[in-house]
Amino acid sequence: MKFARTFTALRMAVAASVVLGIIAGSAHAQEKKPVRVGFSIAQTGPLSGAGKSGLLALQIWRDDVNGRGGLLGRPVELIVYDDQSNAATVPGIYSKLLDVDKVDLLIGPYSSNLTAPVMPMVKQRNLLLIGNFALDANARLRHDKYFSSLPSASADQWAAPFFDLAKQLQGKAVALLAADAEFAQTLAGGARNEAKKRGMQLVYDQTYPPATVDFSSMLRALRVKQPDAIFVAGYPSDSAAIVRAVKEIGVGDSVKLFGGGMVGLQNAPVMQSLGSTLNGVVNYHTWVPEKSLEFPGVSSFLARYQARAKDANVDALGYYLPPFNYAIGQMLEQAVTATKSLDHKLLAKYLHDNAINTIVGTVRFNEMGEWSQSRMIYIQFRALADKNLDQFRGPGKQVVVAPAAHKTGDIVPFAAARK
Amino acid sequence: MRNWSRFLIGATLSVLLALGLTRFVGNEYFFFATYVVLQFIVLATAWNILGGYGGYVNFGASAFFAVGAYCAVALTQSYALALPLQILAAALVTGLLGFAVGALTLRLRGIYFSIATVAVAVICETVIMNWSFVGGARGTTVLQPAAPAFFSSYTRLLFFVMALLALLAVAFARFVETSWIGRGLRAIRDNEEAAESVGVPTLKLKLFAATASGALMGAAGAPFALYMNFIEPTSAFSLNYSVSALAMPLIGGSANWLGPVIGAILLAGTQQIVTVTISSELNVLIVGLLLVVFVVAAPHGILGLWHKLVARGGQRP
Repeated sequence: MKFARTFTALRMAVAASVVLGIIAGSAHAQEKKPVRVGFSIAQTGPLSGAGKSGLLALQIWRDDVNGRGGLLGRPVELIVYDDQSNAATVPGIYSKLLDVDKVDLLIGPYSSNLTAPVMPMVKQRNLLLIGNFALDANARLRHDKYFSSLPSASADQWAAPFFDLAKQLQGKAVALLAADAEFAQTLAGGARNEAKKRGMQLVYDQTYPPATVDFSSMLRALRVKQPDAIFVAGYPSDSAAIVRAVKEIGVGDSVKLFGGGMVGLQNAPVMQSLGSTLNGVVNYHTWVPEKSLEFPGVSSFLARYQARAKDANVDALGYYLPPFNYAIGQMLEQAVTATKSLDHKLLAKYLHDNAINTIVGTVRFNEMGEWSQSRMIYIQFRALADKNLDQFRGPGKQVVVAPAAHKTGDIVPFAAARK
Repeated sequence: MRNWSRFLIGATLSVLLALGLTRFVGNEYFFFATYVVLQFIVLATAWNILGGYGGYVNFGASAFFAVGAYCAVALTQSYALALPLQILAAALVTGLLGFAVGALTLRLRGIYFSIATVAVAVICETVIMNWSFVGGARGTTVLQPAAPAFFSSYTRLLFFVMALLALLAVAFARFVETSWIGRGLRAIRDNEEAAESVGVPTLKLKLFAATASGALMGAAGAPFALYMNFIEPTSAFSLNYSVSALAMPLIGGSANWLGPVIGAILLAGTQQIVTVTISSELNVLIVGLLLVVFVVAAPHGILGLWHKLVARGGQRP
């Protein structure tokens, strides 16, 4: 009888321990449920070049953060969809991320036009969104949980340093050449405002269809106007075609400053193929290997990125978008770690109230979620040789000429820099 | 008559089903995805009226779609028109556009007509890109208004409206197909000279088809900006609309009103699934591969293949 009672007690103990074990196991599994970070990023279509390099950067961040034990002790999982560079796919994708995948954190799609359809959705659902290189995306909705990864709050801010340089070179007459497409037109608007603010005269203002390949007639017409500075807002193929046309036809002796907002001149294949043709061009950039931009962690990140870039078939240098995409991960990581929460309200409050340390420097956000201090840099290509990608890996070839806080060299007039 | 009664019963049941879905499906993503499929049913059915019945291949479906979308945006910005009026106005404008384009180009045949329709798309896109009132090249934000009481979100309302438009488009296509208009268009497709010589009013029929096709494509585009909360020329004039509007009837079968519906459900449904599953270049490849497979294996589409199989089955002893 005693044996039977002992046996029953033993059985109950085993059963209890099994039940407790199951509960503990499930609790443990619950703890280890990944933190899901969702976004779309172009892997096909015209934005896919930058999109693929941006995705690699975020994957490196995910690996790094998981190596450090994840977020709140849980591994980080990226839920990524290809938006095909098409804004029409974005509403469906973000609804899938929120309603089916139930992601914990959201990153915006790459570029302004693809971010626009997401903004009303996140505002309506009161969600945190880190924008991915979207220019002025929050201007209309003024969502208090939007934060930008782009180091410039507006087209005016973006264009301003170029016109400061023009002023420095005693420029009075400005020519403007812009592609007839979203980003280029936005930036051209900023350029017009900045030229006007400085009392400069717009002697030539021309837009062209994005598929234009021959710029000879435009450059000839522009030369007649004898501008002091030429601001170009274009996309990779037209930017490269304009730079080549300038070499063939020239822009005239009056021009002291040439460049501005040419997308593509930050990409390794374009830079390599243009080589010495780029000498003297002053163009916007986000990061280059110059001493003033050596923020903690950026060199180590780029070393890891460049080691994986070849296999991933992405931009070999990765200076333009990748460090800022890694920084998006860091913004989320710092906010989640500090607040010990995934509550979007708490995360947004933290991001508004605190400085965020990233590999692209310390960032503070204004009330609109834009960088409180614009950090768009202008670089001048100097002493470049042809067909040499490695020359871009060190300092001195892409000298930072503006803004003053990050300057590593003085501006050299266009003609002199091309000699 | 009996066939029409069956069709009307089916259509009524479909409307009730769509309405029921907006009430009982909890997941919002369902409405985002099915809206796109329904939108392609309208586009493919509209394309098929001129392309499938009449044999005039229109490569500029995106132009009619986008003009419809921008027409709605312009009217919203000017007069804050209600959605049904936006759709009506868009259909009217794109119907007129279809008539004008038809009057100018329908004397051209074959590839010459198709190239002319590409030119229409390029011209319309250039005009929109330079029209700052609707956002120009930068695009403009169009916020959804509050949803009416019956619908818990505006996307559900848009889904229901697009379901109604799809039914309307299919009913219209079925009417054209089964009436003397359809017989005339088929005669034009098979041999235009012969049709003309036996008294078929070829130009009038082609103009009617171009106008009706354009109006339906524009109606499909009208809610686009509200669905996106935004509009910009690159995505509105996307080549994807032109290619899909053509590929869907070819895959489903262009001789029957049901063909574009089957093609749209198959192709747009697959694209929606692949976008959020495989998520790679495969999505872009799918349209091309399906087109190649169907052109080679089933030149008359799924319906043609089905009829062939049924006929073979009937011949068996």
